[in-house]
Amino acid sequence: MKKAMILVLIMLLAVPSIVLAGGASESAAKTVKVGFIGPMTGDNANYGVLCNQAVKLAFDEINAAGGIDGIQIELITEDSEGTVEKGLSSIEKLSSSDKIVALVGPVFTGVSFAVGERCQDEGLVMITPSATHKDITAIGNCVFRTVASDGLQGEVAGTYFAQELGYKNIAVLYAKNDYSQGLYEGMKASFEACGGKVSVVETCQVGDKDFKTQLTKIKAASPDAIYIPDYTAEMAQILEQASQLGMKIPFISGDGFSNPDIYNLAGDFCNGVVYIGPTQVEQSTAYVDFVNKYDATYGVKPDSFATNAYDAAYIVAQALKSTYEATGKFERAAVRDAVAATKDFAGVAGMINFAENGDLVACQGVYRVNGTVPEYLGAYTVENGQLKKVN
Amino acid sequence: MGSVSEFFQHFLNGLTLGGIYALIALGYTMVYGILKFINFAHGDILMVGAYIGLFIFDFLRGDKPLSAWWFVAFMIAMLCSMVFCGLLGMFIEKVAYKPLRKATRLAPLLSAIGVSFVLSNLAAWLFGTQSRKLEYPFDNTPIVIGSGSNAVSITPHQILILVASALMMLILKLFVDKSRMGKAMRATSLDQDTAKLMGIKSDHVISLTFAIGSALAACGGMLIALDFKVYATMGTMVGLKAFVAAVVGGIGNISGAMLGGLLLGLLETFGVALLGIPQGYKDAIAFGVLILILLFKPDGLLGKNEKEKV
Repeated sequence: MKKAMILVLIMLLAVPSIVLAGGASESAAKTVKVGFIGPMTGDNANYGVLCNQAVKLAFDEINAAGGIDGIQIELITEDSEGTVEKGLSSIEKLSSSDKIVALVGPVFTGVSFAVGERCQDEGLVMITPSATHKDITAIGNCVFRTVASDGLQGEVAGTYFAQELGYKNIAVLYAKNDYSQGLYEGMKASFEACGGKVSVVETCQVGDKDFKTQLTKIKAASPDAIYIPDYTAEMAQILEQASQLGMKIPFISGDGFSNPDIYNLAGDFCNGVVYIGPTQVEQSTAYVDFVNKYDATYGVKPDSFATNAYDAAYIVAQALKSTYEATGKFERAAVRDAVAATKDFAGVAGMINFAENGDLVACQGVYRVNGTVPEYLGAYTVENGQLKKVN
Repeated sequence: MGSVSEFFQHFLNGLTLGGIYALIALGYTMVYGILKFINFAHGDILMVGAYIGLFIFDFLRGDKPLSAWWFVAFMIAMLCSMVFCGLLGMFIEKVAYKPLRKATRLAPLLSAIGVSFVLSNLAAWLFGTQSRKLEYPFDNTPIVIGSGSNAVSITPHQILILVASALMMLILKLFVDKSRMGKAMRATSLDQDTAKLMGIKSDHVISLTFAIGSALAACGGMLIALDFKVYATMGTMVGLKAFVAAVVGGIGNISGAMLGGLLLGLLETFGVALLGIPQGYKDAIAFGVLILILLFKPDGLLGKNEKEKV
């Protein structure tokens, strides 16, 4: 009896809202709804709150300037608490009852995987400012991101080694964890696509101290270079012990090498190492303006994900505008296509373009260590399998 | 596994890795030989020794460039570290093990594991969790034999490890077998109560055993730290391996510890190099060997029957 009552109550509450929402989108709407999902409470609330504030700031600016041809953007924020369960109920509400036309978020990779599937099913475009796992955009054509994919580093690495350094055959010594193995696999795919060969693959565990066995095996194969996408403690041991074994083969590495602790541990053994790491962001005036405005509004400075979220919000607004001007309404499929068509968008974090799969076309920095000082060789990206120097 | 030189290089790698295990296994086996008690905190005393040595060495050498003074400073640091750890070992014995001497056999074992955690957490808290580099007090340029792809190399440090462990084994053996104190140790080992009746101060003997064992750990810790760096958990895995080495060689037997250490080092190296077992799994080899040896020869390779252990 009680259950039946509750059911009736729910229906009474739900029906009008559906009717209202449906009615709103059909008539000449005065607002257009965009959703946000992120951890707003709980241990990781700082990530969600910073991003949410950035999106809010962007939409407030756009609305103050007249919105989308007079139509205001309404931001609806849902709290995922950083969990998949909450994330799923959030997207359920946003998509079915709020009838949003685009989503900024989710903030976390795990939640993004789950929410991305739902968005794909609903044909709803989603732009995450912070989920870096390389497979996020593989969910489908509705999923985009304004943050660089983890897969990019490996791709730039392999292409750079083959096309810029001219290596034909390299050895790899990676640690058995997601990070190290992911970089190795990404590097291998692009290196072999460029005609190179990974001739020896050796592994280790994080925490290992003795690498002489692997290095002796690698030495016997005499590769052009050795790729070590590991953490500082392991890389320091590897570099020192390679020298103890009298090895002269050059070492190449990943962003783990950008941690300055490596120079305390390995000192001069770092000399000559080439590694792929983060780019050096140029502090554009747009970026400085954004940081100042954000700071003035919220009393804190945005992190890099919040900066990405701000750009994502503007990309959504731009897509809404072009959709509305072309069709006179906000259809999800049309909005998605408009997001996909984003070209050379001047964001505060830099120029934004999306690749075919929805990944941010980003670049990676390349460094060469002179003595114990890394020298910046420039920013690189890969287009159609070809290495391209940016700026 | 290609050339002869590669084989020889693997052999050298394995031998020196084994030397490291042997160096630590000596301390384990000595304490066990006297007390029939496995001091699981041994690896952590080794860590403390490495830290103490690092601080004294860095203080003594200051900004001076590498010279003979560095070696002298290193020796002074090692001596201080050995004395400190010897005292620490005696203190730990008095506080954590002696009150449990009449308790069940498991109680001091658990107490030792507790001490191990206390020491490593304390170090992480006081000194942080990052690795620190202990500089070589000598020129560690590898000695290369042969040339080109046939070259085989060994560093002065690797030679030092091998020489140090052999030397220590010898001194320890002579001390236990020939000296008066060694005789008292052996007597205490055979029967504590009877030894007491014969006028041996067995409490002193036990204290001394811990002092020597811990001093050995400090010395080993510093020698290992040159290659493996100094950090709070540096004694854990290497201590466990050394324990395996001691058991393989016959725990309580000083020559056995040396043999077990070298054997384990070679097995790990050649397990990977010859059998093609991925390096990531080499620890499984060490512990697999332990199980096999215990199945077929529960007393270890050089283990004699129960009563004569020392």
